[in-house]
Amino acid sequence: MKSKVFNIFKKEIREMFRDKKSLMMMLVIPIMIPLLVLGMSALFDSEVNKSQDEYNKIGFNYAFSDVEKKIAKEAGIKVVYKDSHALKKMYDDEQIDLYVERDGDKYIINGEDNDTTAYASALVENYFSIYKEYLQTQYLANNNINPNEVVNIIKIEENIVEKDNFYASYITNYAFLFIIMAITVSATYPATDTTAGEKERGTLETLLTFPISSKDIIVGKFLSVSISSIITGVISLLLTIVSLAMAGEMFEIYDGVNLMLSTNSLLFASIVIISYSFLISGLCIAIASTTKTFKEASSALMPLTFISFFPGMIAFMMDIKTNTLYSLIPFLNCSLIFTDITNGGVNFFHIFLMILSTIVVIWIVLYIIIRQYKSEKVLFSK
Amino acid sequence: MLKVKGVKKEFLKLNSKKKEELFLANNNISFQAKDGEIVGILGPNGAGKTTLLRIVAGILEPTSGSVLFDDFNYLNNEIEIKKNIAYLSGNTKIYHSITTYELLKMCCEIYEVDRDKIGERIQEVSTILDLNDFLYNKIGNLSTGQMQRVNIARCLVHDPKYYILDEATSGLDIISSQIILDFIKSEKKHGKTILYSTHYMEEAENICDHVIMVNKGSIIKEGSPIKIKKDTNTTNLRDAFFALIGGVDNEE
Repeated sequence: MKSKVFNIFKKEIREMFRDKKSLMMMLVIPIMIPLLVLGMSALFDSEVNKSQDEYNKIGFNYAFSDVEKKIAKEAGIKVVYKDSHALKKMYDDEQIDLYVERDGDKYIINGEDNDTTAYASALVENYFSIYKEYLQTQYLANNNINPNEVVNIIKIEENIVEKDNFYASYITNYAFLFIIMAITVSATYPATDTTAGEKERGTLETLLTFPISSKDIIVGKFLSVSISSIITGVISLLLTIVSLAMAGEMFEIYDGVNLMLSTNSLLFASIVIISYSFLISGLCIAIASTTKTFKEASSALMPLTFISFFPGMIAFMMDIKTNTLYSLIPFLNCSLIFTDITNGGVNFFHIFLMILSTIVVIWIVLYIIIRQYKSEKVLFSK
Repeated sequence: MLKVKGVKKEFLKLNSKKKEELFLANNNISFQAKDGEIVGILGPNGAGKTTLLRIVAGILEPTSGSVLFDDFNYLNNEIEIKKNIAYLSGNTKIYHSITTYELLKMCCEIYEVDRDKIGERIQEVSTILDLNDFLYNKIGNLSTGQMQRVNIARCLVHDPKYYILDEATSGLDIISSQIILDFIKSEKKHGKTILYSTHYMEEAENICDHVIMVNKGSIIKEGSPIKIKKDTNTTNLRDAFFALIGGVDNEE
């Protein structure tokens, strides 16, 4: 039996590695990961370390006193004086980043809700805070009251420790979610080709005349698709590590953060990749086997790409933690354990449950396909 | 000896209103083929020949009835039976991305040809079917005729006892068809049992020892070509077939 499975496996692998499309799916998709990691890191970095020149041109509809000019200069504001109408036009033309209108003692900060306005608004609020403190201090001094006894009546010190670097956590989680998606996409093509594709090409009939049981045929095909997925997963993991290392060196947002995974984490990540590859290959083979044409199989497998990605993304956004129940839920368990690995908090029991759940799902889907593999509805496209 | 006993095959088929309905492809088919005999299954397109041969080849399971090869059936001996069968149809395709040599080697391994004799057997078959010029070429790059020779080689490589050939010459040019007919005659001489379906009545008349005529899923007549012609008082199998079904309008 083993040798028959191996014969089918060898045939499938040979065909897969000689098919340009299969190779493309297997090798090219992981290349997206460095683009994602470096691209997103560059985006975050440019947002966080935005140059003040990009948001400090502030319009005012009144003339500044010398004190106001000095505070504005110290706050880094480039002041533009115009009437309200002209300021609005300049703002609309993106010549200024925000504008302030004065109506007696009331100052109105005008702008639209966007990133630049948010930075400019913070700058203006800081300016008014200093200016307000100056006015209060002056008033108290003029009334022979020591300003320090009123203004600085309490002292506030911030001691908030940042447990995780937000950006590092974000980028590693998304990189690992993308590995899962890459494995899924990579599994769909060979699974389609080896099942619906074989029906369409008319070679399935040849295969079924060989002295090989349906079980051996399915297991051989399943193993070959799994190998393709594992290759994609391993390449994706290596490229993730390389791109995280590069991002750590290139971008200030990761300063003081170690983006590299430990040897143990790499080992566990590989276990998740292998487990997930088997799971998704089994599901892809099961779904594609019930279809009769390549096109039909591609459509049927499309939702799997989203199903593979969404549980992990939602879990990350809602900060869901791994527990016994979640470790048993396919797709979600892999994403959650990946997150645990990147946080350095791996639980062996959860990994065991994930593997157990994967084995049960694979066993069920393969059992169903093997049983229905002699049905003419499944076998023949016409 | 091959024995087909009361084979019936029903499956769901979409009707003209795109609704599924039960379709009777084969109805209570029984016959036998002796060792060294060429048995022709004759009938028009849609008569149920392909379904019947797929059941005999173990690709499909019958709804009822059984197929026995030397008193062994598929339920208990599927793998052993398939080791002694070669199935070739007009629709049978082979893998385009591998070479002829790789295909034949794979077949030898699957049919458990003695590992030490695989090279020798491939060489032997290649010489018989004149494959040496393209033995290491990818099958996808071969001509239709060459591909058909490779397909025959695939069937021959494990030296089977039974050949199941379904419309094997359908759509082929005269030279490629002749290669297959010569191959059938040569295997008969080696004592092989051949089940040969075709809708070319003249072809069957020339090579078959025994003929089974089917229409609308049922056997309408069987016997030697001479006996069928005599019983129907006709001079060829084509006329005999029409005489049996009562004219062209009753053809499926």
